[in-house]
Amino acid sequence: MTADALSADWIRQRSPNFSPRVGIILGSGLGALADSIRPVAIHRYQEIPQFPRSHVAGHAGNLVLGDLGSVPVVAMQGRAHLYEGWSIDQSTLPVRTMARLGIELLIVSNASGGISSRFRSGQSVLIDHHVNLMFRSGISLSNERVGLATYGVPDRTASIYDPVWLERAEKEAIDLGFSLPRGTYLGTLGPNYETRAEYRAFAKMGADMVGMSTVPETIVASQLGIPSLAFSIVTNVAKPDAPSKTEHSDVLEWSRNAQKQLIPLIEQLLRKYFTDR
Amino acid sequence: MLDLYDKVQEACAFIRKAWHHTPHAGIILGTGLGPLVQRIEVQATIEYEDIPHFPRSTATSHRGRLVCGNLCGLPIVAMDGRFHMYEGYPLTQITLPVRVMKFLGAQVLVVTNACGGMNPNYRAGDIMVIDDHINLMGDNPLIGINDDRLGPRFPDMCYPYDPELIDAALRIARNNDIVAHRGVFVAVAGPNLETRAEYRFLRGIGADVVGMSTVPEVIVAVHSSMRTVGFSVVTDMCLPDSLEPANVEKIIAIANEAEPRLTSLVTGVLAHEKSRSHSSSKVSTKDT
Repeated sequence: MTADALSADWIRQRSPNFSPRVGIILGSGLGALADSIRPVAIHRYQEIPQFPRSHVAGHAGNLVLGDLGSVPVVAMQGRAHLYEGWSIDQSTLPVRTMARLGIELLIVSNASGGISSRFRSGQSVLIDHHVNLMFRSGISLSNERVGLATYGVPDRTASIYDPVWLERAEKEAIDLGFSLPRGTYLGTLGPNYETRAEYRAFAKMGADMVGMSTVPETIVASQLGIPSLAFSIVTNVAKPDAPSKTEHSDVLEWSRNAQKQLIPLIEQLLRKYFTDR
Repeated sequence: MLDLYDKVQEACAFIRKAWHHTPHAGIILGTGLGPLVQRIEVQATIEYEDIPHFPRSTATSHRGRLVCGNLCGLPIVAMDGRFHMYEGYPLTQITLPVRVMKFLGAQVLVVTNACGGMNPNYRAGDIMVIDDHINLMGDNPLIGINDDRLGPRFPDMCYPYDPELIDAALRIARNNDIVAHRGVFVAVAGPNLETRAEYRFLRGIGADVVGMSTVPEVIVAVHSSMRTVGFSVVTDMCLPDSLEPANVEKIIAIANEAEPRLTSLVTGVLAHEKSRSHSSSKVSTKDT
């Protein structure tokens, strides 16, 4: 049995009557959305067979199954980053597990460094494209290893970030009274923050923001036919011509501010698009 | 990564048996730049293969020994021969000597390398003081569980190269009639040299020179809160519209020709450090 089948079976055995429709990955400081979920089950990552554990301060490392509004969801509180030493297969295992549990949409959030001068610190951005500069493929080509018959190379014409969901999120943001610009997210390995020269290089490559997560997860979801809706919270706008130091505590502070917008937005989207069926 | 701390301690303990001084600086010598070692008043020489957990250098024109002694009146340790990613070593192993230098007491890291010049204003044989870098190696020496005894999880990289030492190096160059540029180094994994298309790309994203080393060591120096100064010797020009096949002998000859100037800059920076430590009581405790 494959790793994702083992972990999915373990979860199903404990909540046999629960079928999540939406998977949510809560990035840096966004763990508070989990507080809005009426839990059916909460599993610590280390309990779940095959699951990677999160080592980062501010990442709890829990899989929360429950209802957000009236929509059954499965939420990852904490993620396994590549900079912690996890392989692509290990770090994306929870996405494959959530796919096996039946999710129809993957919602991802992350904290990023802003490159585009259009953005300000604390700004929430919809990711509509990414640049994969992680030098690791999110796609495992071994069917046996990942264990899904449909596994293959994704259709390059398919959108990783579904245009339908992008438009829905934009409209709901306007309804809630804030703007949600789109941007291109560039994924790096980390863990060090970028140099001034790297910020300038990434800008020339077409990136609007840079971070150390998300890209492997959304590639794997796309490969499994699951659309992704990804939010990036610009925690600090990099100004390579007038650099200032980035502290992890600042990153957490900006994330806390952004979630006041994003949490109602995600609740609204689920209410609107997942409760009428 | 948690066993790294112990490995560093074991390597330090071994070195201290042979040399019991506290180095002010660690120096890493790049391709063709080894002759700088002759300026050191050597007190101990240790083969890499004898030092616990040190990898061995396999690259052409690199030796593999740690030279301990005095340079410009300052105690230093110098790596005569360095390790490259293209030799197949993990970056944590390549950068272990930098952590060892730090735990021996070094506050400053001096890195040198041979590089390809992409900025058309440069000439083969010129020296560039590294102002900043771009990591395109596709790897990072800090990947793994962070050991807080060694440094922070997310090191800031606003100034990986110490601005004050950059200024000092450029001043020393001016005073000695040495052509020294200030520019951006991009690191790639190698070992093949770049295609013309890659040179255009690397130049386009803002790099002045390209090489296959240095960035891992500097990332670890920043992680270790050491002040770093870096010198790149432009050993061949890599202008995509007039590219010639690389000639390793020629590259090493140019490195050797540039070496006395590089030595002047390195010794100048150390003399600057020495005068700095005389004139200031709170020397080199820059918090990063």
